[in-house]
Amino acid sequence: MRRVVPICLVLLLPLLARGADLTGKQLFQQKCAMCHGAVGMGTGLLARRMKPEVAPLEMRADLSAAYVERAARVGILNMPPITRGDVSDAQLASIAQYLAKGKP
Amino acid sequence: MAAVVGAAATFASEEDRDAYSDRFPVDPHRHRPFAAVAPTSAEQVQALVRIAAAHRVPIWTVSRGKNLGYGTAAPVVAGSIVIDLSRMQKITVDVENATVLLEPGVGFYDLYDYLQTRSIPLWLSVPGNSWGSVIGNALDRGLGYTPYGEHTRNFCGMEVVLPDGDLVRTGMGAMPNAPTWQLHKYGFGPAWDQLFVQSNFGIVTKAGMWLMPQPEVVRGFDVEMDRMEDLGPLIDVIGPLRREGVLQQSPTIGNWFRAANILTTRKQWTDQPGSLSDAVIAAIRKQFGLGWWGVSLRLYGRETVVQANLDILEKALNAIKPMSMKPFSWRPGDPFSPTQGGWMGVPMTFPMQSANWFGGRGGHIGFSPVLTQSGKLAMEQFERTYARYKEFGMDYQASFAFGERHLLNVNAVLLNLDDPAFMKRVDPFLRTLIADARQHGYGEYRAHLDYMDTVAETYDYNNHALRRLNERVKNALDPAGILAPGKSGIWPAGHPRGSRT
Repeated sequence: MRRVVPICLVLLLPLLARGADLTGKQLFQQKCAMCHGAVGMGTGLLARRMKPEVAPLEMRADLSAAYVERAARVGILNMPPITRGDVSDAQLASIAQYLAKGKP
Repeated sequence: MAAVVGAAATFASEEDRDAYSDRFPVDPHRHRPFAAVAPTSAEQVQALVRIAAAHRVPIWTVSRGKNLGYGTAAPVVAGSIVIDLSRMQKITVDVENATVLLEPGVGFYDLYDYLQTRSIPLWLSVPGNSWGSVIGNALDRGLGYTPYGEHTRNFCGMEVVLPDGDLVRTGMGAMPNAPTWQLHKYGFGPAWDQLFVQSNFGIVTKAGMWLMPQPEVVRGFDVEMDRMEDLGPLIDVIGPLRREGVLQQSPTIGNWFRAANILTTRKQWTDQPGSLSDAVIAAIRKQFGLGWWGVSLRLYGRETVVQANLDILEKALNAIKPMSMKPFSWRPGDPFSPTQGGWMGVPMTFPMQSANWFGGRGGHIGFSPVLTQSGKLAMEQFERTYARYKEFGMDYQASFAFGERHLLNVNAVLLNLDDPAFMKRVDPFLRTLIADARQHGYGEYRAHLDYMDTVAETYDYNNHALRRLNERVKNALDPAGILAPGKSGIWPAGHPRGSRT
């Protein structure tokens, strides 16, 4: 259900003080890049499981928006779940759209 | 509470409860909250605590909820409501005075980006996992590696919501519009900032922190010592220089394990259970060019002063014959490796790759007694601890972090959450280490949720006079007993000590 809801909520949610007017790319930088940027924990660990050049999430071509949202909310292996207090549903939807490069 | 923060800031699904639970748990079922709410202002926090008090609902506050190794966002008491301050993110920097007034949702990366994008020449000090909150880390007495590395010392003035909903500003902040709130730590009369550190006496909604003016140069040495028994002499060389002020940073001596558990997994070295053997240790040291112990010593400030102190440092180190001593030199504009970030105030998360040491789901938990800066006594404590690591079949990761007068012996226990038999050994191992240390008068400086009572129990002078004092203050400030029951072993009246629900 939550996979669909956030897109609707974007229009309805009160705007947050910070981050509301940021693009998916900017939100990725602010919320995710500390681990999924060049020398982050996420990139380092993903490089053990795939080609290092696609370990940074922004370099991936196989991510769907639904997968990104699910992975962030429940966590994967050593990645803790991202709470909705930290990244709202609307923000996560925007990040997922950015990483999925148009895939649903 | 949802009426205060709005439905979009109220999180009560099963998925939310999991997300706010401990991610590095010894027992994953022990600390699950009922829900979380995310206020955006001190006024909302005041309203929330008043509701909690009226309904006698336990609440647990997190700044960003990233306290991995100590409980993450989870409460001591299962079923509590987490007050998640992540969305309180205001930053007000006073460039001239090198201070910042922060809200608790500001992370190390947020503050770093804020300073960098505005070309403000002020540095922060960052912990090994910099994902979390600047205030939250200092409230749990986290550590960094620069001269501002004892983070709780950087506090200067707080705004705090008390458990009855009152709002207080400490120090000079008690005067409305005082221009000195972030400059003088004490104000007039008792100074309260440390009362809100590692306690459950109030919710910090703003805090002043001192930042480090960008130094003219940074110089120093990455030092490796070859033998296990070199720990004592190394401590005895660094200690006096730290006390005298030649060294002003918080140097941290680490063992041979510190690179391998970040850059590799255990299976790359051995398939044998139990502690890593001497042969594996030798192989790890050879691959990474490490001694049994290593330390990165850094001097910060004006070039002429730094160079004079560097000469003193070099002479002192040469006297104990290091295995290697690699110089480091930097001035503004010079590039440096991301692995140097800790000494340069740059946030980092890569050290958390150690959570993958066993190849699957992992984590870490710490055992961190406070020691003296005596090489002999630290060596004895090391020998006792290392023997216990071997006895319980754990891989030894240790550091000895210098304060001005003390040493924090931070020992990490890397967890293998996919191995129930391994995990069963963790709790008795930690309790044994705590009991061993207590016998020698050593207590821990910080603890995971599961060990707060155990550690508090060791601070028992005069029939637990300190705990009795803490709980008298607790009951005076929080008569409803709603704010973080059990935090640091402090329980409100009417709540059975150690009760988890």
